[in-house]
Amino acid sequence: MIYLRLFLEFFHIGLFSFGGGYATLPFLYHIADAQKWYTTQQLTDMIAISSITPGPVGVNVATFAGYVTSGILGAVIATTSVVLPSFILIIIISKLLEQFKHNKYVQSIIYVLKPTGCGLLAAVGIDMFINSINLFGMILLVCLFWASLTQKRDPLFYLGFSAIAGLIAGFFNLT
Amino acid sequence: MEKTFYNIFKTFFKVGTLLLGGGYVILPLLQSELVEKREWIDEDELCEYYALGQSVPGVIAANTAVFVGYKLNKIKGAIAALSGMTLPAFASILIMAKIMDEIVHLQFIKSIFWGVGIGVLMLIYLAVKEMWKKSIVDKLSCLVFFVAFILSAGLKAPPAAVIILAIFLGIWLQHQKKVEQEGLHK
Repeated sequence: MIYLRLFLEFFHIGLFSFGGGYATLPFLYHIADAQKWYTTQQLTDMIAISSITPGPVGVNVATFAGYVTSGILGAVIATTSVVLPSFILIIIISKLLEQFKHNKYVQSIIYVLKPTGCGLLAAVGIDMFINSINLFGMILLVCLFWASLTQKRDPLFYLGFSAIAGLIAGFFNLT
Repeated sequence: MEKTFYNIFKTFFKVGTLLLGGGYVILPLLQSELVEKREWIDEDELCEYYALGQSVPGVIAANTAVFVGYKLNKIKGAIAALSGMTLPAFASILIMAKIMDEIVHLQFIKSIFWGVGIGVLMLIYLAVKEMWKKSIVDKLSCLVFFVAFILSAGLKAPPAAVIILAIFLGIWLQHQKKVEQEGLHK
């Protein structure tokens, strides 16, 4: 039953991804390996697309993966399941807000979860780096890095700049 | 403006539409819509909800939407805010998915995707850097970072398993502290 599996996979992403935005990526790469619903190449394309379309990346990729796997209904199920844990958890937490904020166990769990989420994302970054980098990519990355040192820039700056660099690189067959 | 289902939905729909390039722009967007234009909540409340949104699993933008929506109009508000926030993302991806199969084989689209892929790598680096600043506060948190990194990158452990381990570690640490404190009191 593909719909049930979609629900379970994306519900567990919503429940366990910690650290926001790209924190869903480790899970999505894991799904690509384990479920074969999409390839890692397709996932990389999806991430590129969701970076230039409205909405949080985690939700974008869920919609995309659901659609690729089993059409519109799949997209609806994946999108709903990825935000459902947030919804349930936060309604409960809102009712108990004061206890939640001051609970020692909650604080201790968050203290451990923060570096964990960071480590998981760093692992994805390294994986993507190894799989997708070539000489021109390295040069482009160094340029972006240099640009980030001089001033704080909007994410769209990096994406726009690299899209144009990609076009030029493609023209000279460097990609 | 009244805090009705429709108004909350409309406001978050606008924020969701303007949310480009990942969730990092959400705070300034919510500030201008909720605090300045609508005066539904104040600056401090927004910052608190945003911080809380990060301490709950899931997509931060969605988490913040549910927190604020619930505060504005209970369950009804939460549903309005969450659906308003996700609908633009959902619709734009469906449109992209439809044309995706046709355009993905074009050479210049491939080149653009290749470039954006490198840009995403840069954004991941920036996200890791930002998370590092907020989360690595002592030796233990630094150790946790590297263990999570090695488990995931080296041993290919499922991310959910790593997170569950981390939750247990958090509970155990607090338990140890409690035991120690009780020992001191005796």
